Parts: sequence; C-alpha cells; structure tokens
Amino acid sequence: MIKIENLKKSFGTLEVLRGINIEIAEGEKIAVIGPSGCGKSTFLRCINCMEDPTGGSIVFEGVDIADPKVDINIHREKIGMVFQQFNLFNNKTVIENIMLAPVYVGMKALRKKKKENRKIKLSNLFKRAEDKRPLLEITETKESIKASARARAEELLLRIGLLDKADEYPSRLSGGQKQRIAIVRALAMNPRVILFDEPTSALDPEMVGEVLDLMKTLADEGMTMVIVTHEMAFAREVASRVIFIADGQILEEGTPAEVFDSPKHPRLQDFLSKVL
Amino acid sequence: MDFFSKIFELFSTGKYMESIFEGLKNTFIISVFAALLGLLLGTVVAMVTIARPSAAMKLPKAICKIYLTVIRGTPMALQLFIMAYVVFAIRGFPQIITAIIAFGINSGAYVAENVRAGIMSVDIGQTEAGRALGLPSRVTMLKIVIPQAIKNVIPAIGNELIALIKETSIVSMIGMYDLTFAAKVIGGGNNMASYLIPMTVVALFYLAIVYALTLGIKIIEKRLRAGDKN
Repeated sequence: MIKIENLKKSFGTLEVLRGINIEIAEGEKIAVIGPSGCGKSTFLRCINCMEDPTGGSIVFEGVDIADPKVDINIHREKIGMVFQQFNLFNNKTVIENIMLAPVYVGMKALRKKKKENRKIKLSNLFKRAEDKRPLLEITETKESIKASARARAEELLLRIGLLDKADEYPSRLSGGQKQRIAIVRALAMNPRVILFDEPTSALDPEMVGEVLDLMKTLADEGMTMVIVTHEMAFAREVASRVIFIADGQILEEGTPAEVFDSPKHPRLQDFLSKVL
Repeated sequence: MDFFSKIFELFSTGKYMESIFEGLKNTFIISVFAALLGLLLGTVVAMVTIARPSAAMKLPKAICKIYLTVIRGTPMALQLFIMAYVVFAIRGFPQIITAIIAFGINSGAYVAENVRAGIMSVDIGQTEAGRALGLPSRVTMLKIVIPQAIKNVIPAIGNELIALIKETSIVSMIGMYDLTFAAKVIGGGNNMASYLIPMTVVALFYLAIVYALTLGIKIIEKRLRAGDKN
C-alpha cells in the first residue's frame, strides 16, 4: 500500500534520513524503534509529508506523494496521524474535534458536485434536447453531512466509553482520554493507515494502558499501523514487523521475535541492552 | 472663585458645547475608521509575514518588512504631515480622509506585530493536527489557529486602540478640528480666557472614552475565556 524508496531528509546541513526503503502492506503493524534523535519521528512525519522529504519517493495508493505538485491534502485524508502531545483542537469540544475534518471533506464533495451541475446546466443550454446531459443527483445537504458526521463521532466515542465527554473542551480531560479521542479523531476519516508518533510518551504511567489497549483493538481489527514507540513489550506483542532505525537508516528489520530475541546488528544489540 | 462658574459657563454656552461636540465627532470618526483600517491592514500584513517563504511571497514579504520598519521607525506626526502635505496635497481633498488613512496605516503596523505574535503563540501542534487530517492550511488557520490567536491578541489590540484614540489628538497639527483643538480654541477665546477649564473638560472626555473601551475589552476577554473552559 505504501512503498518508500530511498527516502532522504535533511534540515540544512544535518542529514537526518539517509535513504530509507520499506514497503508497507495492507494490515501490517510496523513498530519503529531506535535511539533518540535517530530519525524515527522524522521518518514517520515524512510518510504523510508533515516534513517534506528532500529526496526519494513515497508511493501511496499508486501516487508519489513526495512530489510537491501532488495535492497532499487528499492523501492525508487517508493517512491518519496520532501525536505525542495529542494536539486536540483546544477551541473545539470533543465531538467538534472529531467532526471537523469529516464535515469539511463532505462539504468539499458537495461543493464539487454543485459546481459540476452548474457546468452541465450551462453546457446543456447549447445542446439539442436529446443531447442534454442529466444533472448529478445530490442527496446530501449541509445538515445531512453534519448529522452523519455527528452520528459517526458519537458511535466512536461510545466505543471508547467517552460519549459523556462529547461536549467538554479538551482542557477538562486527562491525558489518556485526550489521546484516545485523538485516535478516534483519526479513525473518523476512515484512514487506510494510521501513523502513531510516540503516542504514550507524554502520558502519566497509569494512563498508558488504556491507550495501548485501544491501539491493540485497532490492530486486531486489521488496521494498518506504523508506530514509533518506546514501549518494547507492546511492540513485541502487537507488531507484525519491527524496524530498527539508527543514524537515519534502517539497520535491522524482522518479526518481533527476530529483532528482540536474536538481534544481529551491534547497534541494535547495544540499544536493546539499554532499554530491555 | 470663578472656577465653577467658568465650568458652568462652558457647559451652558451652546457655542462652546457645539465646538466640543464637533471636535468629539471628528476624533470619533478618525479613531473608528483608522482602527478598522488598521485591523484590516494589520491582519493582512501579519498573514503575509508568517506565510511560508516561497518565490511568489518574496515581493509581498519584502514590502511588508519595509512597511513595518518605516512606519514603526518614524514619528506619527511626520507621517501625518507627509500624508497631508505630500501624498494628498490636493486642493479640496477631505482632511478627515487624509487623517483616517495616515492613522490607519500607522496603526496597521502595530496591529500586524500583535497579530503575528498572537498567531505564533498558538502551539504548532494545533496546525499540524489540522494539516494531518487533510485540512488545507487556509482552513486550519481559519478554524483552529485564528480563533485561538484572537484570544491571545485581544489585550494587545486593546492597548493599540487606546493609543490610537489618544494619538489622533495630533491632527490639530494639520489644522483639523478635533477634541483637543476644540479645547484650545475655546480656551483661547476672549470670553473664556482660560485654558484650564476646557482642557480639563476635554481630558475627561478622553478619559471616559478610553475607560469605556477598556471595560468593553475586559468583557470580551472574559467571554472568550469562558468559552474554552465551560
């Protein structure tokens, strides 16, 4: 589904990623591990072009999204992202946080259809009756788009047991609640893949479990996930593949058993001896 | 002690009150329209300054930088003179428009800096979350960043408006009749023959306006803060 070739990223003269190659298939759960400052997060942020890659290609659903000419927003709708600092919108309530992007996308599609219909009407003026093109059928309205986004958001909130917080502002929530809402906010867009950027690193220890549990449920449902994490136990349990990044390169990759139990690269051996 | 009788004379003489209200009207018109122009200009300039550097933005960015440097680096009175005697030195051109443009352009530079600071103060993570969901930067700005930035800039914008109102008193330097000039004219007249009374009264007018504005801003601030906690 995603094919990354020779991905490079430099900040000024600092070379953070020096050619990363990886292919991610539908349904894979990839855990990205590695020492701090090795480029794990940068790698993840390049996948949806939050950081513009300086070289290489990222082919997502057949389109190279690293190409600056591509409209990245359309593709980002299908690539969810969960941040270390949650980043819920502070000026929106919980349910508005979840509804915002789906409503925007729905309205965008509606505007596009209406525009197309205006075009058809105009061109029909110059055509004989039998050549006239029929108008597109528009069943959605602004209200129906909002209502269906709300229904979906409520369903998601119910699922994580936070429906009673729907009208609260994020400042009233605990870190674990915020992160779970951030995850369902990404889910509301029905993404094909979700990128997790150290989703539990900013949480109090007692809240890590609830977030990992939700992620595990998603994994079991077959969601494609790329997870930058320091939770080695979680990586071992959930990941279908673990990749070890150091010095801006993938130094080793394999199943959790291969990577954790019989590491080959000395850097990985050294890293694991420190974190396990 | 004819202090009180003088005050009474000022308030009871139709001619004097007419002068004061004529001046008040001009001060008011210049302040309101200059503030609107300043807010509009300032917001646009702030947007240009914080926009990502690109080839197309190079020229607008350079223009904004020169604008900010020149306007904030030269005296307001001088800017007003240049507007009145150079740029709009056209016979019959309404002075009040000259003044509105001069003060609006001046205020815009300060508003731009406040707005820029307000937008920068919103956590970058908010923008990133919006963009990661596929929202274009314009939508992220309008729906996420600006509503949060407004809350941060209201106090600074309030200060700027207060400064603007008081600064309009220098329009008398290009011969415009405003509140301050009214005090001078009344005080210089043979009948009043005292600057103390009209100047004090006019000072109270300014104080009342500024105080009302301060209260208004406080209420707005309170409302906005209530919004994100409730």
